[in-house]
Amino acid sequence: MRGTIMEEIRRRKVFFDGGMGSLLQARGLKAGELPETWNLLHPEILRQIHGDYLGAGCDILTTNTFGANRIKYPAGGAFSLKEITEAGVANAREAVKEAGRGYVALDLGPTGKLLKPLGDLDFDHACAVYKEVVETGSRAGADLVLVETMSDGYEAKAAILAAKENCGLPVFATMIFDQKGKLLTGGSVESTVALLEGLGVDALGINCGLGPVQMKEILKELLKYASVPVIVNPNAGLPRSQDGRTVYDIDENEFAAVMEEIADMGANVLGGCCGTTPGHIKKLVERCRDKEQRLPARKGRTVVSSYTHAVVIDRDPVIIGERINPTGKSRFKQALRDHNLEYILQEGVTQEDHGAHVLDVNVGLPGIDEAGMMEEVVKELQSVIDLPLQIDTSDIGAMERAMRIYNGKPLINSVNGKEESMKAIFPLVKHYGGVVVALALDEGGIPDTAQGRLEIAKKIYATAAEYGIGKEDILIDGLCLTVSSDSKGALTTLETLRRVRDELGGKTILGVSNISFGLPQREIINGAFFTMAMASGLNAAIINPNSQAMMQSYYSFRALSDLDSQCGDYIGMYGGGPSGAGEAPGGLKAGRRGPREVLGPAPGSMGLGDCIRRGLKEKAHEAVKALLKEREALDIINEEMIPALDNVGKGFEKGTVFLPQLLMSAEAAKAAFEVIKDEMARNGQSQEKKGTIILATVKGDIHDIGKNIVKVLLENYSYQVVDLGKDVPPEKIAQEAADRKVPLVGLSALMTTTVPGMEETIRLLRESAPWAKVMVGGAVLTEEYARTIGADCYCRDAMASVNYAESVILGKELEHGEKGAGTR
Amino acid sequence: MNVEETLRYLGYGRGQGDLQTLKLVEECWQELEQAAARRSCFREYPLAFSDSGQLDLGCFQTKSLALSKNLKGCQAVVLFAATLGVQTDILIRRYSRLEMSRAVVLQAAAAAMLEDYCDQVNEEIRQEYEKKGLSLRPRFSPGYGDFPLECQPALLGALEAGKRVGITLTDSLLMAPSKSVTAVIGVSPAEGSAAEGLCIGKGCGSCGKRDCAYRREKS
Repeated sequence: MRGTIMEEIRRRKVFFDGGMGSLLQARGLKAGELPETWNLLHPEILRQIHGDYLGAGCDILTTNTFGANRIKYPAGGAFSLKEITEAGVANAREAVKEAGRGYVALDLGPTGKLLKPLGDLDFDHACAVYKEVVETGSRAGADLVLVETMSDGYEAKAAILAAKENCGLPVFATMIFDQKGKLLTGGSVESTVALLEGLGVDALGINCGLGPVQMKEILKELLKYASVPVIVNPNAGLPRSQDGRTVYDIDENEFAAVMEEIADMGANVLGGCCGTTPGHIKKLVERCRDKEQRLPARKGRTVVSSYTHAVVIDRDPVIIGERINPTGKSRFKQALRDHNLEYILQEGVTQEDHGAHVLDVNVGLPGIDEAGMMEEVVKELQSVIDLPLQIDTSDIGAMERAMRIYNGKPLINSVNGKEESMKAIFPLVKHYGGVVVALALDEGGIPDTAQGRLEIAKKIYATAAEYGIGKEDILIDGLCLTVSSDSKGALTTLETLRRVRDELGGKTILGVSNISFGLPQREIINGAFFTMAMASGLNAAIINPNSQAMMQSYYSFRALSDLDSQCGDYIGMYGGGPSGAGEAPGGLKAGRRGPREVLGPAPGSMGLGDCIRRGLKEKAHEAVKALLKEREALDIINEEMIPALDNVGKGFEKGTVFLPQLLMSAEAAKAAFEVIKDEMARNGQSQEKKGTIILATVKGDIHDIGKNIVKVLLENYSYQVVDLGKDVPPEKIAQEAADRKVPLVGLSALMTTTVPGMEETIRLLRESAPWAKVMVGGAVLTEEYARTIGADCYCRDAMASVNYAESVILGKELEHGEKGAGTR
Repeated sequence: MNVEETLRYLGYGRGQGDLQTLKLVEECWQELEQAAARRSCFREYPLAFSDSGQLDLGCFQTKSLALSKNLKGCQAVVLFAATLGVQTDILIRRYSRLEMSRAVVLQAAAAAMLEDYCDQVNEEIRQEYEKKGLSLRPRFSPGYGDFPLECQPALLGALEAGKRVGITLTDSLLMAPSKSVTAVIGVSPAEGSAAEGLCIGKGCGSCGKRDCAYRREKS
């Protein structure tokens, strides 16, 4: 009786098969023909190829199901996906039976679609697509699942989750890296290992994209980080086109020779990809069969990741920005209720600019659907900011939802020593991967002594181990109580930090600013305590990175602890220098985005109107503050701001002002409006909105820049804009328009292929909200085209949409011949 | 850095860029250079014309007068794809949430960068073919003129563009990443007369959208 594939890998080098596509082409598969159909059309050929590979000495056959999924084989098509998958497994099984040896890997390739928000494939849909194949393939008798040729970690996550959730087989995953060690979607080797191991794959590695020679560098990286067996399945070499055929730069012998080096470097499972044949595999097996198998050591690294990079939590302290949290912030709460994601993104970006390595995300608010909100915010943050996120919630449903859709390996805040807490959180950590913050408290409350907290930490480690979660994936929170109510509190916390490090070999985290509750000038004591905590071994700190005092402690500590080579970072921050970053408030990270004011120093006395006309955001902010001391908010709006905006708008229509300037002016006005809004809120006033307008990019279209431009301008003209986003189904737009009774809907479509979606939307709008006017815009549209699909107005540019809104909602007449005149 | 093209995409005429905008354009290019992951791939396929006006490009068939005219006299085609990667989309997306003026300039700069990159790769391919005594026609993209967008799946499939350079299609045949180009480049035996009058270069001659703000003057 044969053992399991994992037992085999522990004992000896194990071999995958090689390429399939080129072998099928040699046997007559035509360009454009779907290779998986041959599972049914020519099973004998598939069995023969599988048999040849086993004969060459490989151990694992990959089924010919690379593209077998619902997206490439839609329901009602010429071939049944189920039959193709079943036949794919059966053909390999037959070959194994005949040879009397071998394993069958159910092959899952990429869907060929890009996931949202950059593409149109929803993450949950991707999971469902893979689930279908996993269910069929595992039932048909596969021995393991191979997720391969993935160039997007997010898609790999969908496939791996589907495999883990729908069969009990081992799951292997191999990714395509380029020569620089990056995924096509930007992930690094380190971040990819963190993601894949977090998801619990049984083996991981590289395939396709490169030849064995180029893979050596990637392998070195992989071996540095990986704790599970490593797979290397290269192409036959680097391809080039010769007389219309693909040829490779090395031959079978050289392929096998380099693979031998790869085996010696420490790869545990070896095989081939595009262009490799049974000949390649035979030579590879001959050379490597008797090599000693050395499995990677457990690395025990504490790592979280975003879609681009990993953050290691170790001796060099990690800054976790705490500002995305509504507690005590009324504007943040309002932003959550209004789904004002820009506000939340801005909080994230500001912290990133100030040096945060990870962002804590807390959206808990009474009366809010926290799971839905958490999903919305995490999706938005991770598509705009490339820092790893810390999911901070006590709502288990929200936590699971966020962990599922998170594009990487997250930090999780938090678990504690209570039975109930561990029972709820640890299964999630095991399933989705993550590093979890563990509070040193339990049913008995918070122990007064460091000894008591250590006991709880030990209990947490032990329970986590029962779930298969290593110590490296737990950050003990030593708990920081306010020092004003307990003068020994800080010392107890610091002792806990030291002893977790020294006695338990664990990693620690603290919410540092709790220490100063109730004290004046909190930053002073926070900064000092932060330094003491880092000196006591603190590995990660949840702080406000916008606080100058905190970041000064951080940079000083690093310089003083041999964590900042030649004090380079410290000097970069505080040394002044040509960028002048050192003088920026709180020490802004230089470089990422240039200064906002793009014009040289303007005269200090510049009026608000001029600031807006010239698009000077910061200056407008200052100017309006000064004006508010002497004048009423509404007067400022009506006498300074509106005329300036009108002036710029007219210039745009005349062709003397261009889009970037129009938008810079709009942004300057927006900055001024923010100040006025705050002032009015303080006085209990609010600014009347002229009316509500719905904007959406229609179904099928994922380009939203035009719509976003219109939004910025309409908001400046005091319209309440409901932005439904992009790729919005017609039904949703019609429903929202009816529910909100809006007078005007703006639709955008970029391509001829998406205009039908626009037409359908207009048709539904006429039924559900017959009172609403519809304005349309987008690259392919013309006046005439807009008329044929039934729109009320074609807007050739953003100002035209403002003018039309003013005419519909305020009854202002459009000037004769003005751009954007009504179409009927 | 191609400031001139960037400004043209933004609607500026010659010499109309003010100092502030120029500065912004420059900054955007710097940021884009950091972010963009330029990748391209190409493959040659045989070409056959049928009497009914159908074109057979080896991996797909199509009917397009404009493309037929462009490929007249060719025996083969090079299928071509190039992209600036998802990183560019992410950058534009980031600013379209935070600072729209920068987003529109990045959008224009990325369009100009992609066009330049296509020209550069195209030129490399041309030189390669020139060595074999072959010349290339101007590249022609699906969606341009009457060359149907519906050819995109087959074209990208033949190139294996998904796994090689990361270009995918949405259900409505838009490319993702959005800053991507696909094209067909005709391969003809001789330089000179055959291509004469066909060489539209960077023109807009075959495009039906006559009111396009970016339409180039015939020059």
